[in-house]
Amino acid sequence: MCQVGENYGEPATEESQPAPRPGLDKTPVLDCKEGLPVVVIRAGDAFCSRDCFKAFYTHKFRAMLGKNRLIFPGEKVLLAWSGGPSSSSMVWQVLEGLSQDSAKRLRFVPGVIFVDEGAACGQSPEDRAKTLAEVKLILQTVGFPWYLVALEEVFGLPPAVLRCSAQEPAGTAGAYKAAVDSFLQQQHTPGTEGAEDSPSLAQQQGQLCQPPPQGPMGLQSPTGPPAAAQTEALSRLFHSVKTLTAKEELLQTLRTHLILHVARAHGYSKVMTGESCTRLAIKLMTNLALGRGAFLAWDTGFSDERHGDVVVVRPMRDHTLKEVAFYNHLFAVPSVFTPAIDTKAPEKASIHRLMEAFLLRLQTQFPSTVSTVYRTSEKLAKAPRDSHDTAHSEPRCLLCLCTLDVDGADSATAFGAQTSSHLSQMQPHTALAEAGMHPVPCCPPEVGSAQGCCRGPCERGDPRVCVLEWLCYGCRVNMKDLPSLDSLPPYILAEAQLRRQRAWVLQEVQEYLIADSDGEAETA
Amino acid sequence: MPAPPCTSCHAARAALRRPRSGQALCGACFCAAFEAEVLHTVLAGRLLPPNAVVAVGASGGKDSTVLAHVLRELSPRLGISLHLVAVDEGIGGYRDAALAAVKRQAARWELPLTIVAYADLFGGWTMDAVARSTAGSGRSRSCCTFCGVLRRRALEEGARRVGATHIVTGHNADDMAETVLMNFLRGDAGRLARGGGLGSPGEGGALPRCRPLQFASQKEVVLYAHFRRLDYFSEECVYAPEAFRGHARDLLKRLEAARPSAVLDLVHSAERLALVPAARPPRPGSCSRCGALASRDLCQACALLDGLNRGRPRLAIGKGRRGLGEEGPQGAPGDRAQPPASETIPAF
Amino acid sequence: MAAPLSVEVEFGGGAELLFDGVKKHQVTLPGQEEPWDIRNLLVWIKKNLLKERPELFIQGDSVRPGILVLINDADWELLGELDYQLQDQDTILFISTLHGG
Repeated sequence: MCQVGENYGEPATEESQPAPRPGLDKTPVLDCKEGLPVVVIRAGDAFCSRDCFKAFYTHKFRAMLGKNRLIFPGEKVLLAWSGGPSSSSMVWQVLEGLSQDSAKRLRFVPGVIFVDEGAACGQSPEDRAKTLAEVKLILQTVGFPWYLVALEEVFGLPPAVLRCSAQEPAGTAGAYKAAVDSFLQQQHTPGTEGAEDSPSLAQQQGQLCQPPPQGPMGLQSPTGPPAAAQTEALSRLFHSVKTLTAKEELLQTLRTHLILHVARAHGYSKVMTGESCTRLAIKLMTNLALGRGAFLAWDTGFSDERHGDVVVVRPMRDHTLKEVAFYNHLFAVPSVFTPAIDTKAPEKASIHRLMEAFLLRLQTQFPSTVSTVYRTSEKLAKAPRDSHDTAHSEPRCLLCLCTLDVDGADSATAFGAQTSSHLSQMQPHTALAEAGMHPVPCCPPEVGSAQGCCRGPCERGDPRVCVLEWLCYGCRVNMKDLPSLDSLPPYILAEAQLRRQRAWVLQEVQEYLIADSDGEAETA
Repeated sequence: MPAPPCTSCHAARAALRRPRSGQALCGACFCAAFEAEVLHTVLAGRLLPPNAVVAVGASGGKDSTVLAHVLRELSPRLGISLHLVAVDEGIGGYRDAALAAVKRQAARWELPLTIVAYADLFGGWTMDAVARSTAGSGRSRSCCTFCGVLRRRALEEGARRVGATHIVTGHNADDMAETVLMNFLRGDAGRLARGGGLGSPGEGGALPRCRPLQFASQKEVVLYAHFRRLDYFSEECVYAPEAFRGHARDLLKRLEAARPSAVLDLVHSAERLALVPAARPPRPGSCSRCGALASRDLCQACALLDGLNRGRPRLAIGKGRRGLGEEGPQGAPGDRAQPPASETIPAF
Repeated sequence: MAAPLSVEVEFGGGAELLFDGVKKHQVTLPGQEEPWDIRNLLVWIKKNLLKERPELFIQGDSVRPGILVLINDADWELLGELDYQLQDQDTILFISTLHGG
């Protein structure tokens, strides 16, 4: 173990805290007998040897999982692997954590999903095939069950993807302990360990998903390229989006739906994503600027329970991008470079790019920037401000699946962004008169029927209004950059229709009941 | 490339594209929509009830000028009466010109004007004197900290003198957006918790405050002033603003260029942020000296003045706040555990 | 060959402070090969009118973010921004939104 600096405490071991930091003001004094320093992570954190750094790195990963106690032994966990450095490092951490010689073995059952986004990013079929070949090679090396899914498959998703399961994610400490015990018992029965239940998987898939567009999603089986018509539809969709900001958000949304679907179809109750602390800080600030203030804790926290039955977990959130890059380099963790939707786009092209550039630049000036933002995110609550209960029946956003944060009564921003076009379309005097005549409108027109307070049925046959009423503030702003919602995958439009019908029926029933009780009162 | 016709009246040529909706409007239709939206903000948020006597914090700058003008237009409909309250911070050269602008406005709009001076309220301390006293600290930020805290107090005092029931300030959407960005970049959860909402309801005997322009972006405020031909004072304060706000402002301008609604989207975000209970600031008590809201023994204004009068101006700022009030002159050890002064710069 | 143009260049909202406090400038743009647009007007302003701290007015080839540009009282966003071709007798107004509250 290495000694860094003079005020260095006890040596870092797997059980102890992560390697203590020496004073930031001092140039690290290295006094290690084992070798020369190889890595300097942040000012003052120097690691003299590969082993030392590895222990620190692995500890962070384990500690993140350990302290949150969310992943049960034997639980199926789907690793969302983009090919990029952080998620690759995550897959490798899991791989090592599962290996026998590891002191504290991880005990969950992993699978890997890779989403091929080539069509959205304008990759040629040849380039996509090349990327996929690389991806498969790595997946075979890893040896976990894997799913290679093309983003095109969103066109075959069922509307049910957008429904939250009422099932509460289990998560109390007692339940965790019980699960550990029963797992340990199972371990003593020979033959059960590592058994792959492929047949039942296939069955589950048959039940849960609508007939897939072209064959099953590739569980360890080579998938053919997606149907040309779907590739065409997907690239048409992305081409029609007017801004890179909205494109990025749409891509993220569709990818999440697809991963969620695959997880459900194959019985995974957790999805792990590989966002580093740097990435999460950027995401936090980006989402803040996208109007997602209410959802920041879901979007960037360790665990994200918005889907109910499938919980998204972010175990790499303590690792900085620099740490990840060094680790991957030192320990030859393979990754695949895939062009992203914003690759080579200028800095000012999207909110995402701007925020990334801003934070990374500020970070060079004020080295604590990323960690400050990241730590602030820890203080955010998942419940909306002043909300008393978070019942599952609350309407959810059709795209991001968060509770709707648009209500006209108390939020004038919703008014500002959503109905000002309506206001300013009116003659100036009418605008004033109208606003004056209705001192406190119960809600802006577009929100009305969603909230059920002012029964303005959206114009029949306008899918735009129909979809918009089921969106949160941020997703509405994004959809403004989509000239026609018709090109969205059918499951989104279908679910919007379904919800509207359901809301309408519910309202009818309520009116009937009210009328009924009124009648009774009169006769009595 | 000629300007398209106004999408509202279809008669005049459009003069601008609205950041929030992308609509092209002519000057007249824009101004009408702007006024209608401020009206909606006030009505929907129930900010100013009928018969309210409203003190408008007037600085002579664009925001308070537009606020005063719009509220004056809307006052018959709202049933409120207006009173301009200007604060004379005692900044030589800068403030005199700004106050002259306020006086012109008051005369033109026939609104009563009251000027309260730091020197009268705070035992002779002008901002220039404060600046000299803090000069040794070498940081302009402390100047703005003093000024912000004292101005808030002075406005409250001025509003009371004219018998106001409510205070309005000209903070616009950009101010709100910059603040929420800064609070994240600085990790200031305490201020994040208080950043949302349209104003404070006036706890602890303070007058209720609100920001009717909170949903109007800076760009729209400036354009409104332009199309209504309002005369306002625009010069940077001689005590340069805090550098860190400059970063946030710069970022905001870039974000706005990439997505015009970004300013409003940030305001929406700020309104909806929720903090875990442990991160919320404790319920404030009252200042042992003046009775105003305070998270500690002394409110921020009294603490700053206390430090100034004792010749140790930086005592009350940030970590230097140890050793104030009842505690001895030197840092009291037990005080360390308390959260950092959350009122150093009031949220608003 | 574009003929010389006579235009009014105006500064407000505090931007005039960078131009000796002078708000209105009646200027004549010399004839030149290519037509006058806002892009090369900005270059001309920087060379001929701007008195101090050019970075507070021009960044890159455009105005500093936060400065509004109105061409004949219409937002330049409606008119092609930097590519707007100047006409004789145009009024170009630059308003800073960055000063004071």
